[in-house]
Amino acid sequence: MRRHVGIDVGGTFTDAVLINQEEIENKTKVPTDQDNLLHTLLSALDRLGLDGGNPVDEITVSTTLVTNAILQGRFPPVELYLLPGTGMKLESLSWPVPYKIMSGTIDYRGREVLPPDELQWRRILQERKLNPSKSDHVAIVGKFSHRNQLHEEQLAAYWRQAEPGVNLALGHEWGQANFYRRSLTTYLNLASQDLWQEFARELERAVCERGCHAPIKVLKTDGGVLPLDRVRPVETIYSGPTAGVLGAMAQNPDASYVVVDIGGTTTDLGIVLSGSPLVSVRGAKIGPYKTLVRSLAVRSVAVGADSAIVREAGSLSLARYRLGPAYCLGGPAPTPTDAMCYLGVVPYGDRVRAEEALASLLPDEHRLPADLTRLAKSLLEEMAGRLAVEIRAMEQEWQDEPAYKIWGVLHPQEARQFYVWASGGGARGLRDFLQRKLHTEVRVGQFPEVSNAVGAALARPTFSCTLHLDTVLGRFSVEEAGEQGKWQGAKRPHAEVDSFLEKTAERLAGAKSIDLTGAEKEPFDFFPVVQGYRTVGQIVRGRLYVPPGVWGHLHQRPEGGSRRAET
Amino acid sequence: MNKTGILFFPAFDWSLGETHPEREERLLYTQEQLFEEGVFDLPQIRQFAPGMAPLSQALLTQGIFPHPAKHDLTAHLIAAGSTLVLGEALAEGQIQNGFALVRPPGHHAGATVLGNRGFCTLNNEAILINHLRSKYGVKKVAVVDTDVHHGDGTQDIFYHDPGVLFISLHQDGRTLYPGTGFASEKGGPNAWGMNLDIPLPPGTGDEGIHYVLENWVLPRLDEFKPDIVINSAGQDNHFSDPLASMNVTARGYGRITELVKPDLAVLEGGYSIEAALPYVNLAILLALAGEDYNGVMEAEKPNRPQVSFTGLVSRVKELKAEYAQAQPNWVWRSQPYLPDGTWAYIPRMIYYDTEGFQEVRFDRVRKCAHCGGTVFIESRRPPSRGRYALVRIPFGACPECSQAGYDLWEYLIGRAETVQLQDQAGAQVLFWHLDEGVTRFSTVQE
Repeated sequence: MRRHVGIDVGGTFTDAVLINQEEIENKTKVPTDQDNLLHTLLSALDRLGLDGGNPVDEITVSTTLVTNAILQGRFPPVELYLLPGTGMKLESLSWPVPYKIMSGTIDYRGREVLPPDELQWRRILQERKLNPSKSDHVAIVGKFSHRNQLHEEQLAAYWRQAEPGVNLALGHEWGQANFYRRSLTTYLNLASQDLWQEFARELERAVCERGCHAPIKVLKTDGGVLPLDRVRPVETIYSGPTAGVLGAMAQNPDASYVVVDIGGTTTDLGIVLSGSPLVSVRGAKIGPYKTLVRSLAVRSVAVGADSAIVREAGSLSLARYRLGPAYCLGGPAPTPTDAMCYLGVVPYGDRVRAEEALASLLPDEHRLPADLTRLAKSLLEEMAGRLAVEIRAMEQEWQDEPAYKIWGVLHPQEARQFYVWASGGGARGLRDFLQRKLHTEVRVGQFPEVSNAVGAALARPTFSCTLHLDTVLGRFSVEEAGEQGKWQGAKRPHAEVDSFLEKTAERLAGAKSIDLTGAEKEPFDFFPVVQGYRTVGQIVRGRLYVPPGVWGHLHQRPEGGSRRAET
Repeated sequence: MNKTGILFFPAFDWSLGETHPEREERLLYTQEQLFEEGVFDLPQIRQFAPGMAPLSQALLTQGIFPHPAKHDLTAHLIAAGSTLVLGEALAEGQIQNGFALVRPPGHHAGATVLGNRGFCTLNNEAILINHLRSKYGVKKVAVVDTDVHHGDGTQDIFYHDPGVLFISLHQDGRTLYPGTGFASEKGGPNAWGMNLDIPLPPGTGDEGIHYVLENWVLPRLDEFKPDIVINSAGQDNHFSDPLASMNVTARGYGRITELVKPDLAVLEGGYSIEAALPYVNLAILLALAGEDYNGVMEAEKPNRPQVSFTGLVSRVKELKAEYAQAQPNWVWRSQPYLPDGTWAYIPRMIYYDTEGFQEVRFDRVRKCAHCGGTVFIESRRPPSRGRYALVRIPFGACPECSQAGYDLWEYLIGRAETVQLQDQAGAQVLFWHLDEGVTRFSTVQE
């Protein structure tokens, strides 16, 4: 028997489920207290009822803690030191944080072109001595440090000697290409470290105090789970939309569909292709920060079931913000939920208040039932229309992804027959409208209100080991782990590189207690390196990975039941 | 701020041989450089996915003999198709300029294709230009070829075409492949002056090439007023190129791009895979995007002998004189089977270096005051006795030249092994082969 708890802290509500094997044993929903997420999490746990004789095997949390801290700028100051070498000017991209420039150049293969300047280091550390407001959080990032960490390490060693207490983060720990994103990712991860550690400690203690000793894991934006103390904090941003996609996967084995998770303020979209979620080619973007954080290809649309309805240039439209819950649920102003309630397509809300809300949007003389019905329908049509545009754009974006090999062009993404899987509070109410706009079947599961928590509860660990090997220079690196090392093997390895990749992956996965059963491999790319007219070695790229997925599927009740209202 | 399109198609699974300059590794370091710099995060840059050109688009521009099926065209059709993707984005106003960073290259592939030459089989730019003319009605196009090798293929395709101004700057053909591209090559009888070849002495550097652009190429462009400017952006003028002997830097290439202001730049040659390409490609892309490229510094420094600037200026003066005094190289020769009109005759030999054979050609063009004139090319690959025939009815053809094209086509069927009719004006290609009869390709898209 496997009993897992999943909790998803959303902007408005926090959902929690207790899954027993592949059935929902209990579920709950509490309002989110943005100023005290820990308290919110614990009250959700308490309402699920963790005490009692049955032990829980695992608790998985999807939280907006780091997301909020970044978006609101609530983090300690970090000093960012860059070694940009040569190339594009730093000013060409917009930097949301200040930085200082240091010398030292590494090229695209990780060869040192210009060594750093020790005098400059001495000067900077001298200045810091005299600066009472200096930060003890220091991030150092070099261009091409993912190919050679030499300069970062040299500077770090020097720094640690001069300031033993300093908290240093080095860019090469984020081993993918993109100096700009690597700098910002290193910065944000360091900035959110203290906050995260404190949260993790307190959560663990509080759960422990409740007599529960289940390991606590956290959902990452790439769809994987990791123990609280093993995760890099910035990897937890935007796990909510990811939880929604996983929740859909737990209810739709091996299918291809678009996930539409309708929340209060925003609606999150994702794509699942034959049971695997689409992963974003570039990293996640949060506020003004572009990062290297691997994430699912999701997009958030600023329209939800609680979006405020505003009058613009004489006509009514949906605002990008929420004023509170729907009027029919005791809120302050009319929302799409009131339209759903009035039309009777959702089983909750006070219909009298819904009618009142809609009437308030119309002039006195146009408040007949027919007028109200027409208004309700047009509001939901507008909402469905906005979502439909974004869904189409997302499908197009997926089809437009670049390919770098002939194989990729000859085997394009097939156009598939998608259906839409809707979840979230407004899913039932919007289903028919969305179906008409998209001319596509829209399905709603049995538990649309707690779909994200289900996703968190059923998520399994992900893993990825992308190897970049340069046999000429005798160096290898692993992107995800940011690990670099010496290659002692052949100049033109064949089977050897395969077993090297496997061993490296096993070692790295082992360090995070991740099981590699079911891991997949991408075919190796071999680039003969030629000097003069002689092949002197190879550059090899390969990858072993465990894609995001769920460890079980939620049993759906027979068809008749799925239409029944959940209360 | 420019909206700049980039189509990066490095063909990481294609080569002409493991140690061949045109190999998998060629754009590997360019990818490393572009990705690491974060250029795709520049707000004005938009990346496009590669596409595959329909064979009909290639056939509208080039005669492929003895039969397209005899050539491995896949990689070439993707390089050409990717160029078309960017061209369409430009024509539809999605971008203001773009860079097709694709391989394999194309500018040595000419009007007839019997094999691969100078690493090229299909001419990416030429296919693009004719596509833009047929689909979007573009009238005047200029090509500025800044590859170190003479763009002989592109020149061959447009030599009789008054709608296309072809300008090539290259290392003097007496010192480098393909050995052509002299100032006297000014165009065919209906397009005299529409071809400008500027052979430069080995050792020409940034200052020299910028001088030539500012004092000869740009004024000629201003005079022509093209609707679209295409840059064949070969990168082998770089001081580290292993096949040539010029002295241009990455920043020099950035400035070339800034001066020429191409609507589209298309990668051609450039085989200094490590010392030049990552830097030159970056500089060109930054220049197109309106960003500062002056920080792009190669790891190596130039150490080749440089031509003195005054020496270069006086050489350019001589070239201008040579160009002004150039005389046509064709003769007028009629044949009983040729349709009515006056036909110019130009016999030619074309060497295919990749496989090492000669093509023998007899080019004929119908003199016409109203259009580019019907073009008729006979091609042979000795010692084989098989003859291939290409007939072209140009864009904007007059009724007489159109009729002449179809008369020739009918006459030639059965008299050659392969006959191809490019009706550019009518947007169709007819292909006749001994074993298959006639195949029709429409180039009009849905």
